[in-house]
Formats: sequence, C-alpha cells, structure tokens
Amino acid sequence: MKDLADRIEKIILNSPVWTEARFHRRRSQSLQVQKGLVKQAKSNLTEGVGIRCLVDGAWGFSSTSDLSSAGLEKALKLAIECAKSLSQMKKSAVKSLPDQGLSRGEFKLEGYEALLQMPLERKLAAVIEAEQNVRNRSKTIQTAVCGYNEQFEDKIVITTDGARAVSQLARNEIRLSAIASENGEMAEGQHTVGRTGSWDCLFTENSILEMGESAAKLAVDLLKAPKLPGGLSTLILSPAMVGLLCHEAIGHTVEADFVLSGSVAQGKLGHTVASPLITLCDAGTVHNSPHAGGALLVDDEGVATQNTVIIKDGILNSYLHNRESAATFGVAPTGNARAWLYQDEPLIRMRNTFILPGQTQLQQIIESTENGYLVDCPLGGQADATGEFMFGAQKVMKIEKGKISRMYRGATISGQAFAVLSSVDAVSKEFHLDLGAGYCGKGQPAKVDAGGPYIRCKAMIGGVQD
Amino acid sequence: MESLKKERHQLENASSKLISEALKAGADSAEVCGTFGQKTRISLEKQDFHLASSDDGYQFGVRVLKGQRQGYASCNSLDSKELKEVALRAVEIAGFSPDNPYFSIQSATSNKTEHPVELWDEALSHISLQTQKDWIQWMAKEMLKDKRIRLNEGNLELGRGLYLVTNSKGTHQIETDSHCTWSLMGMAAEGNEITSFDYFSQISRKAQGIGDKIIKTSAQFRDSLLKNLKTGPAKSYCGVVIFSPRAVLDILIDSIIYHLNGRVLLEGSSRWKLEDTGKVLLNPAIELVDSPFDSERFSCVLFDREGTPTQESVLFSQGVLKTFLFDHYSAKGLHQSSNGHAVGGPSGPPTVGSHSLSLKSGRESLSQLLKSLPQQNQGILWVNRYSGQTDPVTGDFSGVVKGSEWWENGEFQHCVKETLISGNVFDCLGKGLLGLSRETQIVDCSGESPTAFLDGISVTAG
Repeated sequence: MKDLADRIEKIILNSPVWTEARFHRRRSQSLQVQKGLVKQAKSNLTEGVGIRCLVDGAWGFSSTSDLSSAGLEKALKLAIECAKSLSQMKKSAVKSLPDQGLSRGEFKLEGYEALLQMPLERKLAAVIEAEQNVRNRSKTIQTAVCGYNEQFEDKIVITTDGARAVSQLARNEIRLSAIASENGEMAEGQHTVGRTGSWDCLFTENSILEMGESAAKLAVDLLKAPKLPGGLSTLILSPAMVGLLCHEAIGHTVEADFVLSGSVAQGKLGHTVASPLITLCDAGTVHNSPHAGGALLVDDEGVATQNTVIIKDGILNSYLHNRESAATFGVAPTGNARAWLYQDEPLIRMRNTFILPGQTQLQQIIESTENGYLVDCPLGGQADATGEFMFGAQKVMKIEKGKISRMYRGATISGQAFAVLSSVDAVSKEFHLDLGAGYCGKGQPAKVDAGGPYIRCKAMIGGVQD
Repeated sequence: MESLKKERHQLENASSKLISEALKAGADSAEVCGTFGQKTRISLEKQDFHLASSDDGYQFGVRVLKGQRQGYASCNSLDSKELKEVALRAVEIAGFSPDNPYFSIQSATSNKTEHPVELWDEALSHISLQTQKDWIQWMAKEMLKDKRIRLNEGNLELGRGLYLVTNSKGTHQIETDSHCTWSLMGMAAEGNEITSFDYFSQISRKAQGIGDKIIKTSAQFRDSLLKNLKTGPAKSYCGVVIFSPRAVLDILIDSIIYHLNGRVLLEGSSRWKLEDTGKVLLNPAIELVDSPFDSERFSCVLFDREGTPTQESVLFSQGVLKTFLFDHYSAKGLHQSSNGHAVGGPSGPPTVGSHSLSLKSGRESLSQLLKSLPQQNQGILWVNRYSGQTDPVTGDFSGVVKGSEWWENGEFQHCVKETLISGNVFDCLGKGLLGLSRETQIVDCSGESPTAFLDGISVTAG
C-alpha cells in the first residue's frame, strides 16, 4: 500500500487544482446455504482510484481501475475537465474547504488479519451446520437459510491540502432465517448480526446455534400469532427499533445535504426537538462497542471520525457534515463523508448512530406500562425529510397491566420522529448496537450500525381495522 | 459496429482467458459474464449543478463447475495475472463446496436472438457534452419553475456499454447498448408545509426526441410534488382503497413474482406448486405478462444471464397460472426448460427474476369505476406511493402511504399524511379485486399497470 500511496501522492501533488485521490480495494466473499444446499459461494475483488477536483468552485470526478501512472494521470485530467465544464453552469461556488481533522498515517481496525487468515472453507462448514440446525429445530420449519458476507476494505486517501490516510478494516455479517408452515399459514423468523472485526466478533452476544434457535422460534411463534389492531399506542421500542429510529428518522434529516435541501431539521439547531431524556450521537467508534458494524477511523475525505452529538438532552446540537457542507455552515467537518466503491463520490453518510442509555431497568419500564406494546425485530424502514417515518417490525408483544401477554404478527410503526422522541418518558439502562447487518441506501449503499437502549414512546402502529 | 470495437475485443479476450484458465485448473466447465461500461454524468444537488463525472470500466465474473460443485469469483481488471488468479479462486471455491445436483452450465440451444428491438443508437452514443449540459439545464429549469420546489438531487447520464455471456459449452452472446437516463428527487415546501420526498427516473435509448421527453417528464414530476402540498385528514376504515399503477406494481405484483420464481418453487417456499400450472389462482381479471422487448424500458434484454434468448412470458391469463420463471438451475431441479429468466451481472452467479412486467388493463374507465364505488360519501383513500413492508411469504403488507389522496363523492379532496394501510396481496388479487381501469401507465420506464380498486384493506389515519 505504501508504494501505491507514494505513486498516487506524486501525481496528485502535481495537480494544478485542489485534488483528492482515493484508492479503494474491496475483497468480498459471500456464502449462502439453503435447505442443505450451497446456493452461493463467491469471491470478488474490485479496486481502483476515484479522483475528485475542485475548479472555480465546481466539482469534477473521474475513476479508473488502471492503476498505472498513465492511467492515474488520465483520470486526473478527465476530472479537471469535468470540473471546468461544470464551473460554467454552477450558480453558487463551493467554498474553500476546511482542513480540520485531516489525517496522516496508518489506521487499522482490530480483527482484519484474523478474519483474513480464517479459511473460507471453515466459514462455509459453520454456515452449513448453522442452517441444518435451524431446520432441525421444528417439524414446521419448511426452509432455512444461512447467509454470510465479509468485506476487506483497503483505502488510501490523499488530498493536495494535506491528508494522507492509509486505512484497513474488515466487516462481516451473518443472517439466519427460518420459514415455518402449518395448515396453509406461513411465517418467517430472522436473526442477523453484523460487526467490524473477526469471525468471533459475530458471536460475542449469541452463539451461532442460539441465533438459529431464535430465528426458528420466532417463525414458529408467529405462525399462531394474530394481526394486531391499529392506532396511536404506547410502545416500548427495542434497541434495534431505536437504532432504526435514530438512523432513518433522525439521522437522515440531520445530514447537512438534506438540511440544505429543506429537511425538517433545517433551522432547528439549539431548539428542543426531543424529551430531555434523549441524547443521540453518530460516531466512528463507540465506547463499549468496539466492533460496531459501522466502525470507521477516517472518512473518505481523509477526515478523522469523531463522536458527533446530534441531540444533547433533547436539544438539537449538530448536523452531520462533509468538508463542503462544513464550509457552508462554518463548522468543522464531522468525518461523515463516505463512498461505497472507488467509482463513487463521497456523500454525507452516518456511521454508528445511537441514543445514550438511561437509568431505568427494562423490567421496571414494562411493569410501569398499563397498556402498550413491546416492539422488536425490525424489518427495515424509511423516513422522509419531514421526519415522518415507517418501520416494519416482525415481533410485537402486548403489554397489559405491566406484564407481557401475547405476541402479534409483524406490524408497521409510523410517526413524526421529533414528535415521537418528544413523547419519550423512559430510557433503559440496557444498551445494544443491533443493526450492524444493515446497509443504508442513499444512491450508494453504506455499512452502518445503530442502536441504543429500550425507550418508551407514543407512535402509530399499523394494523387491521374493523 | 466501430464505436466499441476495441472494448469488445478486450472483453472477449479476457473472457476467453478466464475460461481457459479455469479449465486448465481443473474445472469441468466454465461460464463468464463480462461487462464494459462508459458513462458521463452531470448531477444536481440543492437547486444547483453539483458534479460532472466521467468513467469507464470492465467487470468479469467466472462461474465454474467441478462435478456438481460450483465456485464463483469476479474482478474488475483486464490484467492477465489477475484474471488467472480469479479463475483459480473460482476453481478453489468449487473444490471445497459440497455437491449441489441442480448446478449446470449448459450448451447453447441457440446463440441467435430474434432481435425485435435495437438497443444501440449511433446518434445517442455520440451526443456531445454540450448537448448533455443543455439537457440537464432544461431539466433543472423546468423543475425549478416553481419556487416551492426543493430539488434534493438529479442526474442525467449518458452511457454506452457491452454485455457478454459466454461459456465453455458453446454459448456466446454479446449485446451493445447506448442509453440516456435521467432522474430527479425532491419535495415541495410552502410555509410550514413540507411534502414527502418523491423520485422519478426515465430512460431513452434513442437520441431523437429526448430533449422534449426530459422537459415533459420534469414538468409532470414538479406538478405531482406541488399537488401534495394540499393536505388534510383521512379517516380510519376497512374497505375499498384505490391503488395507483405504481402502488399495484410495488405492493402487489412484486409479491406475485416472488412466488413465481422457479428457485423459490424448487425450494418449496412458493405458495404455489408446479402442478398448479393451468389452475385459476387469482381473480379472472388478472392478465400478467413479462416482456423484455421494450427498448424504452430499463430492463430490455435480448438474452438472459446464462445466455438463453429471452422471450415474452404470459404468467397469468384470466387468473390462470400459465408458467413460472425458470433459469437453468430451477429448470433442472423441476425437470423443466429455462425460459430465459436468469438475471444478474458479473458480481455474482445468476439468480431468477422478471424483466418488464405488464398487468393488462380492465374494461371500464377510471371514471366509470369511480362512479360504481359503494363508499362515496364516507371517503376513500387513493394510494399513489407506499413506504412499507410486504412479507412475500404470507403476502401481508403494512406501511405508510405517500403522496396519496383523499376522495369523496368522486372528487379529489386533499392529500393525506401519516396514514397507514394494511392488507394481504393474495386477498387483493383474489376476491378483493373490484376492478382494473382501462387506462394503464408505465411507471418509471419499468412495469406497466392499470389503476386497481381493491376491497378489504385497513386504513389507519393519524
């Protein structure tokens, strides 16, 4: 990597304009086993350099998989031409980019070597066994699937204004799912986990067998579960659901590019947007969760990541920035610029987004809930710039007079994010980052994680009407 | 075709190298999917021009079989050494994978595709950067004619490329494509009122008339956003709901396709069985066709991911199941033949999917269907877009409607916010289907559908 970094730096430092070069090599491997058959075992290598230039306040970008000096010089020339061409059309020039946090050095996250050294053959054997165990859990399990993905990311980011960051990290994720079938009814249960680190990092909370048991049990239980009635309800959201709320409904609205487009968070810095029990952060690394799925030491503009406190004690404190938006707002960049592959330009993206834990035990929160639902096992979700969100949940448990009574089939949770966070009256001590197997989509995918404590709030739950 | 002659030569050479290296390393057979793509793109962000970019590149994926064991590896390099390593990696993976009797790499039944469409337009492949700049300026100007529009992002891309599938059994298919795509994402804002995000994307493979299409589609998108500014309440009820063509395709047809997937059928996860072919499974009004031959839609392909020539497939006719979607894997397992539904690119082995779906129109017009509704005075929800979850296994769906409307007595009243719907796909396409409109719409140059009138849906208003 050092030789390549030297060669790229030599070319970039001769550029007549502000230039950023980002080498990215991704090696990925995927396995999928279903009903005892290996459906997929594959390996991929993608590498190249993306070059971005700023000419007269306009961006130009070009990418190439040709890593020769001639190939890099050609890409640089094209990027400059693109920027020059755009500068004739642009109404508002990009301001001079702030240089706070620009990194130099080598940055490596734990677990990279261990995951690389573990043979794919051993991983495949574990995946085959895990899938078989899920199928053997119950006669009603008709199909089971176990999927495993891993990515090794090697990057070099060099800019003409001083960044030179060489970074390496490895991410992996495992998904177990079971489809149960009985008397014409079908239901699916899943358990997923995603981490940054070695194979063993995936199983620090549950073993692979326990994950399979959990997926199988959920599928079987859901077979007999009725649909729930819809309406405004008191909900206790699990850490995974809280993660979805933090990411989809708050995180996207505070990405500075969305703010500038007119998201609901525009103009609300310093305003109360949530209950005083809520402090919400987005961080490159998370204390007590060293293997968070979105862990990142340096972003794709060469800026060191940091813990950005988005909401502090209920008050909106910061947006998420790249260098361009930081210049627009007159603040320091927060290390949120990320690109999926070398062909992609860096966008403002989240990393690990979470609410800080509170002081109450989950059991106490349940016992003090007269009538409501405990909502868990997210199925994904979306949110608008308005903060209106929609999340799917696979598992909904009724709470009556302080006790969990029955399970309902999956439902949709909806509301306006700031209104829901303002309704929070309890935050648990228990804390998990629980969305590490997830990808965020914003034109490009990004590996992220999210989570938090259990929180009690009010939101709409979609169900059947009489 | 002179334009991409050099690139075609390199693509074919590298693919041959991958196959020969895989066979030398011990594979019994090998298949390569290769692509070359070249594009220039200008993007919009926050009401302004944001980025101009230019790039090109190759991608290769090699699938090998050793007995009944499969391995797959891919890369984006033309370098001989790297291609050899990729071929060896695929063979190595096959070496430690267990047997799967359904894998196959098959000889070509025919390398000829009856080309009913042309994917290459010489004029489009030579559009200048200045013309591209003009087009995106027209797009931005039309979109931003109204100051209430908030443009989050937009793109206009000119691309040309090659798609190749070849194998050691004699299959060799290559196609050349040129296209212009454009898309916009934004919302409208007035005072404290902000609409939800909306998005549209379009494709054209012919240079002629693109400018007018860009202006027309941008204006339509702008007007649809502005319409959403007028919001009001909905009511909770269970009953008749109207689904726009987009909602029909996103909520209902996607689930049907899951159960028609040959691999899902082979795994036993489809609600239907092979023996159900020829039986009435859906409402008799359902006529569903998959056709890959409309060049003005995104998914226009002349051969599939395994090189099998594509064909028009009638999936349902009068509610009767006519066929499932098969690739070689599912066809082998079910003793059928592939009907050209292997999909995917070089980054992974083939999977199964549809190409461009069309749900055929009904007999009555939208206005006739509206007049025949029973719930006129209580109000009715017209779902345009939807953000939610559909469980493909059960068919249960639940989510928030977006950009959707409240109608009373056959008249539009206002758009709605914070309104959820839930129902079941198979109920909707069974006894719950009250009618399909005569008018149809092609949504985002993808699927085509009429508007559907559906009973038995729960509406929960915020």
